[in-house]
Amino acid sequence: MKKLLIGLGVIIGLIIILVMIAGGSYNRLVSLSQGVDKQWAQVQNVYQRRFDLIPNLVATVSGAADFEKSTLTEVTEARASVGKVQISNTAPADSAKLAEFEKSQTQLSSALSRLLVVAERYPELKATAGFRDLQVQLEGTENRIAVERNTFNNSVQSYNTAIKSFPAVFYAGFFGFKEKPYFTAVTGAEAAPKVEFDFKKSPAK
Amino acid sequence: MRTFAILCLWLGCISLALGGEIPPKPAKYFNDYANVVSSGKATELNNQLVEFERASSSQIVVVVFPNLPPGSAIEDYSQKMFTAWGIGQKEKNNGVLLAVFVQDRKLRIHVGYGLEGALPDALCRRIIDNEITPHFKAGSYEGGLAAGINAIIAATKGEYKGTGVTVNERPRGSQGQSIVPIIVIFVFIFFLLKLIGGRGTVYSRRGYRRGGWIISSGPGWGNSGGSWGGGSSSRGGGGFSGGGGSSGGGGSSGSW
Repeated sequence: MKKLLIGLGVIIGLIIILVMIAGGSYNRLVSLSQGVDKQWAQVQNVYQRRFDLIPNLVATVSGAADFEKSTLTEVTEARASVGKVQISNTAPADSAKLAEFEKSQTQLSSALSRLLVVAERYPELKATAGFRDLQVQLEGTENRIAVERNTFNNSVQSYNTAIKSFPAVFYAGFFGFKEKPYFTAVTGAEAAPKVEFDFKKSPAK
Repeated sequence: MRTFAILCLWLGCISLALGGEIPPKPAKYFNDYANVVSSGKATELNNQLVEFERASSSQIVVVVFPNLPPGSAIEDYSQKMFTAWGIGQKEKNNGVLLAVFVQDRKLRIHVGYGLEGALPDALCRRIIDNEITPHFKAGSYEGGLAAGINAIIAATKGEYKGTGVTVNERPRGSQGQSIVPIIVIFVFIFFLLKLIGGRGTVYSRRGYRRGGWIISSGPGWGNSGGSWGGGSSSRGGGGFSGGGGSSGGGGSSGSW
């Protein structure tokens, strides 16, 4: 009788311990997942910030005498296509969705940096305080984007590691914790693209 | 397989990123590693920054290095230093880092989330262009740094209220919080064993072993918000301890 009681006590204790461990690790997954969503909001925030800067930039630049129109339309079009990408407020679950978002943003990045490169040729534009401030803000925004993307990838990494670790690996799928995609492009891709002059164009292969 | 490859890539990135060896947490607010400022002036500026944290709780850290590590960008490097040192209070994120790289002739004002309103990027650029670099161009690092610090203080003054002490001067909180659950578990196990009736030493030994296991892998493991300044050697005397603030990469860079 006493032996049975002891055995029962041990089993109950073990169950309690297991539940505590599983509960703890489940809660951890929830908070990590929330962390990824929160960081995603930050990413969207900084991209939105850039999006909002553009009309001002375009207005300032187009005020400059005979500013090259093609770069301006390129920026405006890239901005419009960014606006078309439907994206949820929570971190995207599949990598295709994230890739689409990323692609449109990268197009805008390169259109913007081309615009800034072209603007170098307009000294009277560069001399205006308004343009200089916008340029600084744009640089700052690009830097913020790099920072938030990096933090996003870090939080996705700790989430993905957690769902693949013991004991979560046994039940993560059951509770719908799926692997989340990363931003793929290297952070350097956010920097201004190198302007290359192809003087000796190699024959097409 | 693909995920494994991605993970490997990531680990590679991380080790690469860590390869950019972030300097250890600075001992003071004003740190001249390039020996361009006289020690008297350095102490004076440091005291000014200590006083500013007491009055406003905002932390301004100045570092002057001889050069940037090869291959790193000033923005990225500043961000890493800022994060590693936790400049600014944790809840307010009110930190500013002024980093100068003498041989590269580059500098950056890096702003925490909580001061982006008081120190927008364009203002940072103006402080760099109008206050700091004219002095640097004339060869006066002391003058430029002093003017820069004054301008940053002027911009961020009144943004937050201080507590009269710096993080470094604050009495270190006891680590009681993290001990409580461990005690609860031990008490629980103790009662469980009592209930079972302490016949076999075998059971009790196992019980304790399991107890130990819970503590290491149960809820609340994982680094619980990096406790800052643990075991710092520079308490008192104008030493710096980060409050755990973070930055989203705000600020501006310049060169001279």
